Amino acid sequence: MSEVIVVTSGKGGVGKTTVTANIGCGLAMLGYKVVLIDADTGLRNLDVVLGMENRIVFDLTDVIEEKCRLRQALIKDRRIEELFLLPTAQTKDKSAVTAKDMQDVCGQLREHFDYVIIDSPAGIEQGFQSAVAGAEKAIVVTAAEVAAVRDADRVVGLLDSLAEIRDPKLIINRLRVHMVQRGDMMSLEDMHDILGLELLGVIPDDESVVVATNRGEPVVTSENSISGRAFKNIVRRMLGESVPLMNLDHREGVFNRLRKIIGLG
Amino acid sequence: MAMQHVLGGAGDSPTILVEGTLRSGQSVNFEGNVVVLGDINPGAQVTAGGNVIVMGVLRGMVHAGAAGDAQAVIVAFRLRPTQLRIANHISRSPDGEVCNPNQPEIARVREGIVVIEAFPPGGERQGKKQRPREELKK
Repeated sequence: MSEVIVVTSGKGGVGKTTVTANIGCGLAMLGYKVVLIDADTGLRNLDVVLGMENRIVFDLTDVIEEKCRLRQALIKDRRIEELFLLPTAQTKDKSAVTAKDMQDVCGQLREHFDYVIIDSPAGIEQGFQSAVAGAEKAIVVTAAEVAAVRDADRVVGLLDSLAEIRDPKLIINRLRVHMVQRGDMMSLEDMHDILGLELLGVIPDDESVVVATNRGEPVVTSENSISGRAFKNIVRRMLGESVPLMNLDHREGVFNRLRKIIGLG
Repeated sequence: MAMQHVLGGAGDSPTILVEGTLRSGQSVNFEGNVVVLGDINPGAQVTAGGNVIVMGVLRGMVHAGAAGDAQAVIVAFRLRPTQLRIANHISRSPDGEVCNPNQPEIARVREGIVVIEAFPPGGERQGKKQRPREELKK
């Protein structure tokens, strides 16, 4: 039983690529066969985030143009067994990959992998439409910002009308707990009210994500970062386990207690 | 080593000048030699039938001798490539380990692998002249 999942958001910069890389690594670390597809032709990043940029020889567009076979374009991760990347081209544009092409490629890959995860480009135009075409499930990534939630809502509607994906799961990325507590950032309840999606997980705003991303080593592979643990929980929820939401409040805890002691809380 | 040996029969084939830096996603394809008066950034590509000379920092991907000429060379003022290809040989910089001499370098195929040497040859770094690259299977 393999699954083809698209990771999308509408708005750019909310963390689609980071989420794709971490979920993929997380699943592969548990022994599942995973292939990640970069659908952001012309603005590819997934290879960089995974530290695979210098090993790209063939890409998705070469497969489509039949310049190589599909398995020649797959790059194997050097740390995690069973994790593969299908990169796309940087020197072409979105028109190089049609919806039909994506369906064909996903159809072939799902026979060999447990999970096919597609990193969608930002926007709702051709690149997005191709990215979702081959998928049967979706993960919508949003940040706790009005604009990001608005775009996520738009994308949920499009997933239904374009690809008949009815119940996408939600990941809220880069949540700043202390800002939510101050009422300066949208809370989980606010977002749930608008989007009404099942919450797959919440990733706190964490500097170690930036460090890991720049190094090409997804944060889920590190043992002791809070965002890494959040991604591990998301992976377990994807596998059907019921994992309670992490208490993201504990770093504030000491501080809050101090404030209470001095009578500010 | 005389220059005409370094660049093989380069004088016979046409050469284009690319003025300015090639940025991510930009690419140049030419059947002869390519001279870039600028940098080649990560994500940019140059594919040439002949030699490629970069009067700047080569950080992206260059394919010299793309039609099969294994004598083709790649020369850059600073050689920091994502990947180098000469004819049907593909090489990339090794993971982790960093060796970035601040001098011009030349990449060429020697005994079936892409090697990188100081350019012009016989500079200060004679001791570490050869820097073999990890080979990739095509």
